[in-house]
Amino acid sequence: MSNFKWSLKYWKGLVFVVLILTIVGVFYQQKNEPRSNRQVFNLTELLQREHTQGDYSILVDEQGNVLDKMARSVYLHDEFIASDNRRYEVVRIEGNKAICHLLGLEKISLIKVNSTVLKETALPVQAGNKAVGIYYSHSDESYVPSDGNESIPGNGGVYDVGTAFANSLEKEGYAVINDTTPHEPHDDGSYRRSRRTAISLLKKGVAAIFDVHRDGVPDPNFYRRNINGQTVATLRFVVGRQNQNMSANLDFAKRLKAAADAKYPGLVRGIFLGQGSYNQDLSPRAVLIEAGTHTNSKENAIKGINLLADVVPAVLGTPGAGGTVRTQSTAADWKGVFLVILAFIVGGAAYLVISAGSWENALSRVRQITSIEWVNLLGWQQQRRPFTKDDKQEIAKKELSDKEFKNNNERADWQKD
Amino acid sequence: MFGYTIGVLLLVIVFGLIYFGLAQRVLDRLYLSDKVALSLLVAMIVGSFINIPLTGGRIISSINVGGALIPLGLAIYVLYRAGTSREVGRALLGSVITAGVLFAINIVTRGKEAWAVYALRLLDPIFYYPLIAGLVAYLVGRSRRAAFVGAILGVILLDIADLIFYVNQGLRGTVAFGGAGIIDVTFMSGVVAVSLAEAIGEARERLQGGPVAEGHSKSLLANLQQPMQKPLPNETEGEEGNDE
Repeated sequence: MSNFKWSLKYWKGLVFVVLILTIVGVFYQQKNEPRSNRQVFNLTELLQREHTQGDYSILVDEQGNVLDKMARSVYLHDEFIASDNRRYEVVRIEGNKAICHLLGLEKISLIKVNSTVLKETALPVQAGNKAVGIYYSHSDESYVPSDGNESIPGNGGVYDVGTAFANSLEKEGYAVINDTTPHEPHDDGSYRRSRRTAISLLKKGVAAIFDVHRDGVPDPNFYRRNINGQTVATLRFVVGRQNQNMSANLDFAKRLKAAADAKYPGLVRGIFLGQGSYNQDLSPRAVLIEAGTHTNSKENAIKGINLLADVVPAVLGTPGAGGTVRTQSTAADWKGVFLVILAFIVGGAAYLVISAGSWENALSRVRQITSIEWVNLLGWQQQRRPFTKDDKQEIAKKELSDKEFKNNNERADWQKD
Repeated sequence: MFGYTIGVLLLVIVFGLIYFGLAQRVLDRLYLSDKVALSLLVAMIVGSFINIPLTGGRIISSINVGGALIPLGLAIYVLYRAGTSREVGRALLGSVITAGVLFAINIVTRGKEAWAVYALRLLDPIFYYPLIAGLVAYLVGRSRRAAFVGAILGVILLDIADLIFYVNQGLRGTVAFGGAGIIDVTFMSGVVAVSLAEAIGEARERLQGGPVAEGHSKSLLANLQQPMQKPLPNETEGEEGNDE
């Protein structure tokens, strides 16, 4: 027994030392990397699946036709709504190819997004909400032809694209909060940091939040298109599947796409429903926009996103006084609410059964919660402590006083009323 | 169901648990009474709206009252009340290792989409952070309270690492400790850590048919029913412990 314990301690200590050494080593290596090109994260070149350079996923249908390319990992069951509104599901992954099965034609209704109809049917759920919030989870993302590098930590080219979007929305009459908080380094902590930014935007009462990114597919022509007589970099919306707001946010993205399709066909490349949450659990009106790719010029990306700003009023409604926005409640929102309640009940029951050990115990615990816990919480629980000398004296005193003031008892009774 | 993945359902379950009561149950485990736990929860929700600025200029930093200050205070209180120095040591070690593991994941995922790394691809970082923090903190800390301290301090250390990163790299940066308030990764990790500790601990004890008594010192066994803890200065003998 003691031998076993000793060896356990030894292994734990060893693991700890190795961990510390690894961290120190990685730090040391990073510090000694040349920093001349302002590229901070050189370590990534040693590792696979680079987001920003070269490696990307290709979505193909079952006949082998290319549907989309994107510099993000695609997983089984991820879904994709193409620009022609066909909805696909990833059914197989072969290398960097994701084979998609056609699910059908997605209903993307235009009726709801018509602004005059919207005014009549609007069901304001967030009355008094102002403005639109814009933020940048990957604040280093940049455009090589314009910025000279694909990654500029703390001051990426996406800032200019998002700011142009903000300015265009302001021209439409919206009050826009363009939050340029950086979230460096570009790692999986980016969304932990940007979560705080997104929350601060929501605290300011924004009706919708846009997280502006750019893609990392090397071919600039894949994104480049001639729309409305000008060359623009097209856009993609990304909706996270891992949160309770998925259906609401997908609905929001679909309505944005429908509005764009009506005025500028082809501007929106598609909607990708991927793994992750992208902080979209915070709002049912949140969408991630990928404006072009790193090999597009920033100017083209700005032109593309400006066209999107032009169609936003069809979805968010014409801004009211002071640039306020009222968003309407959709069936998709209620689906999310229902799901949360359902999951809470299922999860709560599971937790109770596990911690109580059996159904009977769990049930008796529920009874206990309803009978005792709330009483206890509100301070009505009777004091349970052993009799002390003081108590006895207290009771004796009370009996005495009862006797003494017997005549007053009658008065005390009517005073109660 | 509804086009959601199983992962989503799982997440939503966790989400619901956290926001509709688990947090309060967790606070219950930290030498706090029901009433104090509930008032702290309310304080954290209100405090989520209060950010105290720390530094300005190139590196802006702030601390959120509900998301970091109260959880930090709670962690320190738990350390103060811990009965043995071993428990304190384990909790502190737990927090350092938690921060180390999360930091290592950060380094591995740099420059990539967050979920492009094997084994982490199932969940969004917002969700696997608390899970990893909770698991590591529990494995090292070996108790609910140590897990809580480890997870909270672990994530705060991670934010401090960001701060050091910005200073070293000369970058513009913002560090908002617990900036998302009660739904920040900081407190979420603490909650998940305690829940995991409870789930693992209870399941293990049930499997082996009760706690292991063999090979432990008598002084520790004496506290099996009720853990050893330092009494508060004004606490009198005979008062009921908070632990069930």
